[in-house]
Amino acid sequence: MYEGIKHIFKRTFTLKYPYQKVLLPKGFRGRHILYMEKCTGCGICAWICPERCISFVQAADGKDHPQNPENRFPQYWYARCCFCHFCTDYCPTGALDYSPDYELAEYDRELLVWSPERLSKVPTNVGNYRSAFHGNNGSMGVTYEPVEKQPKT
Amino acid sequence: MATQSSTREEDLVNKLKTRFPDAIKGSKIEGNHRITIPFDKDKLLDIAQFMRDELGFDHVKGVAGVDDPTHKKIEVFYFTGSFSKPEIEDLIVVLQAELPRDSPTIASAVSVWESAHFHERETFEMFGVKFEGHPDLRKLLTLDNWDGPPPMLKDIKFPEMGQR
Amino acid sequence: MTANLDQTKTPAPPIVIAAAKEPSTLDVSVGPQHPGSGHLRMLIRVDGDYIVSVDPDIGYVHRGCEKIAEYRTAVSNIPHLERPCIIDAIHLNWGYVLPIEELQGVVVPPRGQYISTIAAEMNRIMSHLYWLAINAGVFSGHTTIFMYAFGDRDLFIELAEMLTGARLTYSFLPPGGPRRDLPAEFKDRLLKLLDYFERRLVEYDRIFFSNPLVIARAKGIGTLKREEAIKLGLTGPVLRGSGVKYDVRKVEPYGAYADLDFEIPTFEEGDSYARFLVRFEEMKQSIKIIRQALEKMPKGPIARKAPLIIPEGEAIARVESSRGELVYMVKGDNSDKPSRVKIMNGSFRTLIALPYLLRNVHVADMPIIYGSLDYWPVEADR
Repeated sequence: MYEGIKHIFKRTFTLKYPYQKVLLPKGFRGRHILYMEKCTGCGICAWICPERCISFVQAADGKDHPQNPENRFPQYWYARCCFCHFCTDYCPTGALDYSPDYELAEYDRELLVWSPERLSKVPTNVGNYRSAFHGNNGSMGVTYEPVEKQPKT
Repeated sequence: MATQSSTREEDLVNKLKTRFPDAIKGSKIEGNHRITIPFDKDKLLDIAQFMRDELGFDHVKGVAGVDDPTHKKIEVFYFTGSFSKPEIEDLIVVLQAELPRDSPTIASAVSVWESAHFHERETFEMFGVKFEGHPDLRKLLTLDNWDGPPPMLKDIKFPEMGQR
Repeated sequence: MTANLDQTKTPAPPIVIAAAKEPSTLDVSVGPQHPGSGHLRMLIRVDGDYIVSVDPDIGYVHRGCEKIAEYRTAVSNIPHLERPCIIDAIHLNWGYVLPIEELQGVVVPPRGQYISTIAAEMNRIMSHLYWLAINAGVFSGHTTIFMYAFGDRDLFIELAEMLTGARLTYSFLPPGGPRRDLPAEFKDRLLKLLDYFERRLVEYDRIFFSNPLVIARAKGIGTLKREEAIKLGLTGPVLRGSGVKYDVRKVEPYGAYADLDFEIPTFEEGDSYARFLVRFEEMKQSIKIIRQALEKMPKGPIARKAPLIIPEGEAIARVESSRGELVYMVKGDNSDKPSRVKIMNGSFRTLIALPYLLRNVHVADMPIIYGSLDYWPVEADR
């Protein structure tokens, strides 16, 4: 009884959603950002995706991408994506990035397929957030031991 | 003490081999905690009784089936362990039996290890292995009106999920 | 229709003996949809107010987890295999990568083991809070503890979000070690949260565990004696509530548990109240483990790059998840996809206790017994 009454005098924690948004931590797993100047079209992201939501299309932005000889870039199908971000971690050139953008709902199912150009736009609709980009060294503070020193156990 | 713990596993294997010389087809000891013992499937109940009463393996953690279409066999694994004897409580002893793929049948271990009840029902449904003597062998997880082949066999393929 | 597990010597109430002579029983389907715990169908045969027998009819949420796992690569399997018990995702993930690391010959560096241990113990606290809120709270009608426990669980979820990036679906441990290191302010915030949580556990004790209503409903109900628990092959808090001191973290230590000092709470009575108390005490032990691990954390690399192919062979590994001992067998055949993944989890092994315990009890005791077993249907069905 006492436990119940003492909560009357505590303040509420409710955020008024569209005007006040949650501060997301760095490295929050929202939608992906594609840096088109780094992607080489190797296909590791599509191979490792658990949901097979990545397929490759030709870039349509008219720019020249010398590092990507076949001019193929990933296209994401967000209806299937489970936001595990293995693609971001395993990309060898660091062309994919985390972002705090979680407001991806659409009225049309076709709009959930994001072309590479749409993915390369840095999100600006996410209200006040701490900087959640992991930087371009692609590691989020992870250090690996060099391959030669691994013991054979 | 590495030598002491390897003799504990070798001890167990030797006890089994002296008691069932022709039914135990070999053994594999890995690390400190795993023993794999292939055995002849007709002697399951005798081996299980011996393991429970003499050696102290009182429960089954699971019963797994593995399909091997290239060698035309289905293997059934019994993962046994012990809760009551502290000196062997960290071991998992895996008993392996090989069954022919066309008509896989084996005696049910429920009379010895009651904990195998639902695991055997699942292996029956998923691989088609008939456990003779099981008190209640019917489908567990799939639909009641599923009449297709046992789902976990490699005959059923999902080409839309990519190469296997 | 009922499983033949009739080996008890408890005397049936006279009304049930009389009823067995004349067919006056009614079959009730405790339907397949349970928004609280997960979907499980129990066909209960009742006579008046007594449950005569029960036949669990599982499989409503079966989706062929083991079959699908053969079609995904070793790393892609991680989000797939952590979904069966998503509130306990780190343990399901860790148990899957341990055999793969054994087959590939990859050893995770010490700092990575400590980070995995901290994440696993946080997950255990979160899973037990969910249990407390739903299985012990809502199923017995105590909605206050539901709101308290879920509120505190959200604080842990925010910390997990800071560590891994996601609230519940972590996919944090690929083969080779954790994906990320601890962020800068993580340690201070976690220690502050643990201090706060310890004060809240005292409150939980006052409103739930020492509540005379809960004690009246749960004490002496659904008793499992020690020999029966061993014979039925139960595991986890159900086993420890019946007097068997068995925990994989002590029996076969993995991760950083060999260096940490903690106890295994065991209670002798074997009734539902003892199972409640086991999980309550386990939360306190988890706090102790996290504090020690944060203090003793070594420096250095956290992960090794693991190969992307699973070599030929098979390996078995086990972890202690919140619901019991979780054993994985992974068989590889020198390709990037495993050829067989077998999951033996605590919930499936607890299934056999349902027809055994739900016999000659009141219908009102069923939620208490079911809640104390902490049966997670999605994990059992895979």
